[in-house]
Amino acid sequence: MDFANGIRLFTRLASVGAISLGLAAVAAAQGLPEGYPANYQATIDAAKKEGKVVVYSSTDAASAGPLLKDFQAAFPGITVEYNDLNSTELYNRFISEAAANTGGGDLLWSSAMDLQVKLVTDGYGQTYVSPEIKSIPDWAHFKDQAYATTYEPVTFVYNKRLVPAGDVPKNHDDLLKLLQTKTDAYKGKVTAYDPERSGVGFLFFTQDVKHYPRAWDLNKAFGKAQLKLYTSAGAMIERVTSGEHTIGYGIFGSYALARQKKDPNLGVVLPNDYTLIATRVAFIAKSAQHPNAAKVFLDYLLSKRGQNIIANQADLYSLRSDVEGEATLKAVEKAIGDKAKPIPVSTELLDSLDQKKRLEFLKQWQAAMKGQ
Amino acid sequence: MRLFNYGLFRLAVIAIVALAVLAPLVLVFYQSFLDAPFFQPSAKLSLDAYDFVTSDSDFWDAFANSVMLAAGMTAIAVPLGAVLAFLMVRTDLPGRALLEPLLLVPIFISAIVLAFGYVVALGPVGVFSIAAKDAFGFVPWNLYSFPSLIVIAGLMHVPHVYLYTAAALRGLGADVEEAARVIGAPPWRIALTVSLPMVTPAILFGGVLVFFLGFELFGLPLVLGDPQGLLVLSTYLYKLTNKLGVPSYQLMAVVVVAIVAITAPLVAVQRRLLKSANRYVSMRGKGVRSDLMRLGGWRWPALAIVIAWFTVTVAIPLFGIGLRSVVTSWGEGVRLSEVLTLAHYGDLWDYPNVVRGIFNTIGIGVIGGAVAVGVYTLVALVVHRWNSGWTRLVDYIVMAPRAMPGLVAGLAMLWLFLFIKPLNPLRATMISVWLAYTVVWFAYGMRLVSGTLLQVGPELEEAARVAGATTGRIQRDVTVPLVRYGILASWLLVFLIFAREYSTGIYLLAPGTEVIGSLLVSLWGTGAIDMVSALSVINVLIIGLGLAIAMRLGVRLHA
Repeated sequence: MDFANGIRLFTRLASVGAISLGLAAVAAAQGLPEGYPANYQATIDAAKKEGKVVVYSSTDAASAGPLLKDFQAAFPGITVEYNDLNSTELYNRFISEAAANTGGGDLLWSSAMDLQVKLVTDGYGQTYVSPEIKSIPDWAHFKDQAYATTYEPVTFVYNKRLVPAGDVPKNHDDLLKLLQTKTDAYKGKVTAYDPERSGVGFLFFTQDVKHYPRAWDLNKAFGKAQLKLYTSAGAMIERVTSGEHTIGYGIFGSYALARQKKDPNLGVVLPNDYTLIATRVAFIAKSAQHPNAAKVFLDYLLSKRGQNIIANQADLYSLRSDVEGEATLKAVEKAIGDKAKPIPVSTELLDSLDQKKRLEFLKQWQAAMKGQ
Repeated sequence: MRLFNYGLFRLAVIAIVALAVLAPLVLVFYQSFLDAPFFQPSAKLSLDAYDFVTSDSDFWDAFANSVMLAAGMTAIAVPLGAVLAFLMVRTDLPGRALLEPLLLVPIFISAIVLAFGYVVALGPVGVFSIAAKDAFGFVPWNLYSFPSLIVIAGLMHVPHVYLYTAAALRGLGADVEEAARVIGAPPWRIALTVSLPMVTPAILFGGVLVFFLGFELFGLPLVLGDPQGLLVLSTYLYKLTNKLGVPSYQLMAVVVVAIVAITAPLVAVQRRLLKSANRYVSMRGKGVRSDLMRLGGWRWPALAIVIAWFTVTVAIPLFGIGLRSVVTSWGEGVRLSEVLTLAHYGDLWDYPNVVRGIFNTIGIGVIGGAVAVGVYTLVALVVHRWNSGWTRLVDYIVMAPRAMPGLVAGLAMLWLFLFIKPLNPLRATMISVWLAYTVVWFAYGMRLVSGTLLQVGPELEEAARVAGATTGRIQRDVTVPLVRYGILASWLLVFLIFAREYSTGIYLLAPGTEVIGSLLVSLWGTGAIDMVSALSVINVLIIGLGLAIAMRLGVRLHA
């Protein structure tokens, strides 16, 4: 550990100590944000009385770190008990706990949009109209319960060293043509989420069918090029940067951007015919034991202050049009105009959980993977 | 009267063990016959889940692959493990003292860590692969092929066969070998025709164990089978989690039932093999000294075999993971000298959950391991030299949780902690993790301890009995004191196992219950590979430290 890290560790320990000593004493006199109802102070006070909020999240602690730190600074006295789990474990744990009637997560924050909407439609959510609701797009909230919190483009990534500039696909047609004309050169070199093993993968590929008329041609081309399928974005990006594969299809722009900052060799493309926008959906559990703290945390996630951190420190892309930076709705719109296609937070997502439809899709997918 | 009490005590212990060990399994069995999660009011009895799984062609592929994998790795691990045991125990192989702990290293490192190390070292663009490509113009191996998986899994399980064979060989008098040597047989011939045949039951026992472990192998096929879509039963189970969008416990439960159905008969086979347990008796009232066989000219080739095995199984993957932890990028066209960094280690300290995970891992290994060994010792004593149906029963039931992949065992444990109200408050504490680990590793721990107990010759205990001591007194004053080093060794081995465990704790992961293993899996999923590699190295260092302490204390690392 070098000196700077030593200092960092020291300040961390110091700050942990300070928090546990009760920063409440510091009496942070924060005024209410603009547009909040006057009685919001009562919510904050109740939240502080509750003392903590239990968050179940599929966003790893590494990305969420800056956000939690800033929330702590904005609302001293409310601790965040942050559980990062993968989206399936999160769902399993939550419904098990709900069935056992034992306290669990107060706020669920997950990138498995379909599972989140399912939980809300199944009645596990709590109705809460966030004061920030007017600052986020219409597609981004559902039944006054579920809220989109990020604006993450689904991108192509590629290895700059190994993919010649002329080959880099700018859109889905380019990619299709590349795979059809240079099938051998890219055999085993393209990677994507596995729709059979990953919920996110399933969601992305079914959305492609909605937005791209030649989606099945592309899937067949993938099959002929022996597409390599994974269950985690990390595994895919790692293998693209190492050159084991050279093009990654359908990768969260957020992860790609974070990796690109460390390794400039990773190229990221927002397809210019259409770019799906995925999001992390948050809702407050009906069974929340710290409902007020959960409200404050949700509002913070959607607030300008929180979104600014989401955009500029967590690299998760802000969905507010009044936030500046590289990872924002604004920047995405500047790059591809109206080609951004957010996946709306709506009951439409439940289609992908319909067993019959799902198995049918997967059957067709398996055939496509054989090039048929 | 006292005897009667002791009998009652015995039965009570067995009942508690059965309850702790069988509860998760019973729950999973029950779940397999439902059409929805068991806790949903709408759940009905149904065989639909069985229909679904048995008509899914992926299941049968996975099934066939699992059988081939288990058979293949047994075929590799058994001969190699037996030969290594012979070399280490019966010959004057150079550097034995140093090699002994190294031989056991693969048992103690997360398969997922090793697997990822292999990708960095030997994957299509791994450091060694690129070097090979530069030298020969092509890469002479394909890490992701099924044969590679079998070979790696086989090599990694050599220590299991080694352990049992070595223990048996130690108990074997040298007189028969000497007889063979006198008539001029070379060492390899003595090994093949005299020593090893005499310990056949132990070798077979190790072989059956490896075959058994082949079915629940998860980390290796997860990482190495991933790119080819190669499925084995445990990764098929993982796939089922998402097949229907919403996690379908009943389908997962059916696969667990299938795995149990295959592995249960194996336990019966093991049981038969153990019947020759008295062959292992080595610590008798009268010592047996045996001389080591001189290898002569065979010394160096023999040493080369051991070192080659170690290099492929441990050194290469550890080098891979170590390398990954100090670079920002790797692979084709990357000059490693330009990407070196120590930042990943510094970054770890930015995450309080990771820091807690490191301390928790040490805690559960040291303290949890000690308590677990206490439990294992108690149960082992209860069935020690007790010829009864109950003993057989214990042997069967402690194996049961091993038949469940760790992920499912962990989920079942979560359910128990949720739905059994008195256990509720313990859920978000390390006690839940400890209980899960203790149950999952029950068979392993019991074998360690009872193996140690069996080394005490029955004549010593009989002497005490003749002198009028009760069973409890004999165990307290004779058996346990004699095996205290064995129990200390068991503690260290359990420490190492607990420190590396990765899948069982995933569902119990919460602030305060992080352990390195479950953090690795959760970080791997989100793509923080930098942290995964650095944390892996720390995990290996903790385990290395445990091994070093064991050696320093002169603990023999075998049961």
